[in-house]
Amino acid sequence: MLSKLNTLCLKGIDGREVLAEVYIASGLPAYSVVGLPDAAVKEAKDRVVAAVRNSGFDFPSRRITVNLAPAEIRKAGTHFDLPIALGVIAASGKLGKKPPARFGHAYFIGELALDGALRPVAGVLPMLLALKGRDIIAVVPAGNSAEAAVSGVNCLSASSLKEVVSWLAGQGELAACAAPAATRVPAGGGNDLSEVKGQPFAKRALEIAAAGFHNIILVGPPGAGKSMLARRFGALLPPMTFDESLETTKLYSVNGLVAAGRLIGERPFREPHHTISDAALIGGGSSPRPGEVSLAHNGVLFLDEFPEFSRPAIEALREPLEAWKVTVSRVKESVAYPARFLLVAAMNPCPCGYLGHPTRECACSPLQVHKYRARISGPILDRIDLQVQLSAVKYADWEALPGGEASAAVAGRVLKAIEIQRKRFRGGAKANAFMAGADLRRHCALPEGASAVLETAMNKLGFSARSLDKILKISRTIADLEGAAGIGREHVIEAVQYRMLDKSAAAAAGF
Amino acid sequence: MGVKIETEKLARVRLNFFSCHRSDWLLRLLDLYGGAAELLKRPAAELAAEGGVLPETARTLLAQSRAADPEKELLAAEKAGAGVLTVLDEAYPELLRKIYDPPLVLYVLGELKPLPAAAIVGTRKATPYGLRTAARLARELSASGVAVASGLARGIDTAAHQAAVGAGGVTWAALGAGLGCIYPEENKKLAAKIVETGGALVSEFPMNKGPLPANFPRRNRIISGLSLATVVVEGGFESGALITARFALDQGREVLAVPGPADSPASRGPNFYIKNGACLAENADDIIACFPPESLFGLKLRGAETVKSPAAAALKGLSPDALEAYRAIAAEEGGLNADELTARLAWQVQRAAAALFELEISSLLVSRGGRYCRAV
Repeated sequence: MLSKLNTLCLKGIDGREVLAEVYIASGLPAYSVVGLPDAAVKEAKDRVVAAVRNSGFDFPSRRITVNLAPAEIRKAGTHFDLPIALGVIAASGKLGKKPPARFGHAYFIGELALDGALRPVAGVLPMLLALKGRDIIAVVPAGNSAEAAVSGVNCLSASSLKEVVSWLAGQGELAACAAPAATRVPAGGGNDLSEVKGQPFAKRALEIAAAGFHNIILVGPPGAGKSMLARRFGALLPPMTFDESLETTKLYSVNGLVAAGRLIGERPFREPHHTISDAALIGGGSSPRPGEVSLAHNGVLFLDEFPEFSRPAIEALREPLEAWKVTVSRVKESVAYPARFLLVAAMNPCPCGYLGHPTRECACSPLQVHKYRARISGPILDRIDLQVQLSAVKYADWEALPGGEASAAVAGRVLKAIEIQRKRFRGGAKANAFMAGADLRRHCALPEGASAVLETAMNKLGFSARSLDKILKISRTIADLEGAAGIGREHVIEAVQYRMLDKSAAAAAGF
Repeated sequence: MGVKIETEKLARVRLNFFSCHRSDWLLRLLDLYGGAAELLKRPAAELAAEGGVLPETARTLLAQSRAADPEKELLAAEKAGAGVLTVLDEAYPELLRKIYDPPLVLYVLGELKPLPAAAIVGTRKATPYGLRTAARLARELSASGVAVASGLARGIDTAAHQAAVGAGGVTWAALGAGLGCIYPEENKKLAAKIVETGGALVSEFPMNKGPLPANFPRRNRIISGLSLATVVVEGGFESGALITARFALDQGREVLAVPGPADSPASRGPNFYIKNGACLAENADDIIACFPPESLFGLKLRGAETVKSPAAAALKGLSPDALEAYRAIAAEEGGLNADELTARLAWQVQRAAAALFELEISSLLVSRGGRYCRAV
């Protein structure tokens, strides 16, 4: 006998409808799954057999064929357990001669335990979003109930196979999924910028980075506070909009990282270790999954010890930094994940870390320093607008240093600057950091005195034409933070200070 | 006759492929046999006996020389644009010819103008004080028309060459490797600039010889040998700069030293020399005063009043903010970074940035690793 029921699968971060067909024929006992299943789907058999029997049903010893249609999409994940088990039960006639009425407009997702209980699965939110606005019912494991509720789709949650079967037979009801009360987590993980003492230039640079969506690299000796500052950076960014939050949560859901089923309401802060592979950073695997850059979508990607990352990992950042998405291509499939993050990189000034330290001697030759810095290739450095030096703080000074402004005060200024940019670029996600060509010329016109400053910087400090563009963009953001209509001489002069790597490269060349 | 000189030159280039730490016995043998061509025809045992070296050394000498290809070497030099001089050439620098063991072969890239020269030498691990003093002396010497000789090494050498080039002066660098292997790597641009601005790179080593540690003490005799006086700016007791000073003394040239703080390890060498009677070098006039009288012709002396405070003139015309920032930075021996300056003066970031920019473009500050030190 044949049964058909609806389920879903993921392609990239988008849900696709899948029809699960189960056919039981006479013949030698056999079980086969067709329709491009991956290993986890094939393994479903053993779980399904145990779960069906332990729920008090009969698992027929006959020839069973499971087809997941459309057959050309790769099927991955453990959530096919529930639809396959229901299909077997229905096809063996336990639910009556005709398929239950509820089969037609219901979608089933869930992994089975051997005792028949339903376990939560990854990717529920993006799968359900494919059904948004449709008059259907989705049945999900109780563990995914909160996440499912966020999708806005009509959802029921079940805790075991038995419950679902009795609901199908019209003998019981399932609980509707409800979103938990929203709990607002304070941005920055409860850390405030004022807790970091000193470092006025770095703090100011972070403010500019947040205001203009400029990527930033912090250069400083060990213990200067690079990570502390980076962790507090998120609090300077404006709060997430609902759409941003939904997008980010989808990506987390695909990786099974949605804790307690909440929408991600705080900008993500991802801090992968420098030994990370390029595939883990940008996404990959034989059936692709989002990488760290996508998990940092709409948030901050912090790469500490940036030159220590492998060359392929660093170079892999080119696409997301340029296009805000990554395309992961594998033999089996090719998917694109969004990755619009703000890069905060940190590095030591030299291999030993003590170049420019007030008390410790640096043991590196200029060539070693040059080679260390050259690990970050030109094209990557080119996408990082702000380069700022952090200083080692002597303990004696540290006590007396002012903490500076609180995050909230800085975030206020940042928000105003962002509003100005929204008006300038007429909505959209554009920011000063993305100006090029015509935009740059239109919005970054320089008054007489300021272009003289740029010329001097070029001649005396050895800036290239490329760094001049960066200086212009940074100047525009500084002017926006002040609410100034045009860029002034003082804005350009300040911007020059945030290109320290260019400056030292010129100094290393000697002229 | 011309053919004979040509053959002898080739023989000397060939002989120069033998690497040894001391060449006095070789020069003696050259005198004895009347040339390298003749020398190379002698058996090893005879060379060892006449030169007073081990037979092993003489055998190596012959083996290494025979393995060399002097025609190819001359072609390589020509291709690189370098001249090859031996004492037989008239262009061989006069001062260098006079030393105890002049280089057998001198490769020259650029032009060794007939100028009086002073050597500015010092440690690779220089302090900001040493760097700015070396640079100032080089600038002043350039302004007076004196060539600045040094060794293209990091630290003091680089500061001296750079300043001389920047001041439009002539500077010569004696290398511890062949002209085909400029070392250190990061000074390649500087080396090119030295040649471009009328200076020269010189080396006694075959074109492609690498920068072996043993080469450097030897090349120091060329630095002092090209110069009328040698100025030690900074250097500990183990520093190569002191080797150069010793060579200068052996060669009968003047040695001067720049005084440094009594407790600075980098100034122990120069302070030691001053203690033992070396002239004290405060400015270029002190150095020129040590030159033999016949070489003073055409040199411009600066006079006492202009050398009193080198910084004073440069500080004129600065904005009050920049001046205040400069004073704060100059007051610190190790300099300040931007954050420290901001905290010290209790300024806003913007104000400090503007002051630093002004000072930097006026070349009053140098920065290394984000730390600003006074440059004059």
